[in-house]
Amino acid sequence: MTSTRRHFGKVLLAGVSAFAVQSARAAFAQTHPPNRSLINGVQFGLQPFCYHDLAMTRENRGELIRRLVRNGMGMVELHATWVEPRFNDPGVSAAAARDRLRAWRVSPPTGYYRGIRKELDDAGVSVFTYYVNFDDSYTDAEIDATFEGAKILGARGCVGSFGLAVSRRLVSFPGRHGMFLGLHNHDNLSDPDAYASEASMVTGLSLSPDFKMMLDVRHFTAADGDCVGFLERHHDRIAGMHVGDRRKHNGRSAPFGEGDAPIIELLRMVRDNRWPIVALLEFEHGTLRPEVEEVDLMFEYCKRAVA
Amino acid sequence: MTPRFLSIACVLVFAASVAAQTVPTRRSYDAEFLGPPLADPVLQHAKETFVLFGCAYCHGLNLVSRGEATDLMHSALVGRDENGNHIGPLLRAGIPQTAKLSPMPQFSDLSDQQIAAIVTWIHYARQQGRYQELTATPARAGDAAAGKAYFERSCSMCHAVDRDLSGIGRKYDASALRAAMLDPKGLKVERSFTSARLHDTNLASARQRHQGLLENYSADEVANLVAYLASFR
Repeated sequence: MTSTRRHFGKVLLAGVSAFAVQSARAAFAQTHPPNRSLINGVQFGLQPFCYHDLAMTRENRGELIRRLVRNGMGMVELHATWVEPRFNDPGVSAAAARDRLRAWRVSPPTGYYRGIRKELDDAGVSVFTYYVNFDDSYTDAEIDATFEGAKILGARGCVGSFGLAVSRRLVSFPGRHGMFLGLHNHDNLSDPDAYASEASMVTGLSLSPDFKMMLDVRHFTAADGDCVGFLERHHDRIAGMHVGDRRKHNGRSAPFGEGDAPIIELLRMVRDNRWPIVALLEFEHGTLRPEVEEVDLMFEYCKRAVA
Repeated sequence: MTPRFLSIACVLVFAASVAAQTVPTRRSYDAEFLGPPLADPVLQHAKETFVLFGCAYCHGLNLVSRGEATDLMHSALVGRDENGNHIGPLLRAGIPQTAKLSPMPQFSDLSDQQIAAIVTWIHYARQQGRYQELTATPARAGDAAAGKAYFERSCSMCHAVDRDLSGIGRKYDASALRAAMLDPKGLKVERSFTSARLHDTNLASARQRHQGLLENYSADEVANLVAYLASFR
């Protein structure tokens, strides 16, 4: 085989490219350690509401992080109550507590969010989404400050339980922070403002390209929704899923595999299509076991699904 | 160190690590959330059933509700319920039409026994909670006339101030009367499954009646009733 200058150039270019890719990978691996709950291409995380025995307060955040690590979770949906102080001391009216929280949000202590980010980084836990129940009581400055705090925590978006009316007001906010707003569905089919049916979610998504679904599989199943069909049709507008099990027709929560939610199919669709959809485990079924053990069991079910 | 020794050591370390990974996690009882087991196994079973079907996560194990869930401690429907006659049908059907974010789910697949256990726990927890609320409230002066009306409405089918309660105000002072009302003998009677007592309907109805009263008393009603009974000297 004769070697030409053109061939040599190609080989050299390929070698340099391969080296560059390897170097980039190595550099990325140093700054982004492999997420411990990335399983066969599916990024798992936890909505820590599952730790039902642990009050969602900033005082309990250390225990939360320890549990996440114990459960092998590298990603979390962090509710604001794990982060923010509470002002509802005895003798303080609800209105006064709300005013003080608003003032705190607009002017948090310097480095406050960065300190929490470090706690999470040190434990190898990244925040996927920041859960905030925006409502009419939020001022514009407060909404901006909340997005900004969430961004410092590393969140890619803010998610909350609100309906179409609040969503309309939030249209301009996520984009100017380079984030998304996650619409979280429940199963109230009788409220026209609620995200529960596919039509209501499509209407919400149409409000802004910065809006994405946080598809709650449990609630959508209870609302008799077609989870698999929804994922097929709208996967490019779904940021994440709350993965759990419930029975149809407003049925009760159930351990994974005992309800009607097609958890295995959904996870395999994400795996096989390499969709960047984060699967956040969340459950409300009862258990007599410690919640950490229950999370282990549910996580094992999901790992088998994508094995 | 010989290569053979090294290879054996490696195999042993590998085997140990595999064994460590395959030891099943011991499943344990969540004493932190559920508390220590109760002395009465029927109540313990009721509590566990309340937890197992997820009721506790929304309504609270001790009926201190979370989020938007109905406050069962102060629910009028629970107060009216007798042996699940109101709670049972509601559990089976759920409340799909609601202004709340998440409707109350339906539990249509539960057995009668499971429903009965959940109902038992709700009433028991409500009695415990109401007892704590009422004993934490300082005693106040009551209205004897209002107490008389309450007595005739709620107590007179079993008690009478000229029979079993004759001169009760002479035997007990107000604080003792109040304590007896909030912790009555009727509630201390254990359930019995012996044939000799199976048909002891007096005991059974006394227990049930006092349970119903205790979980529905208001502080004013207790004060009024004490004022009325204390007047019989």
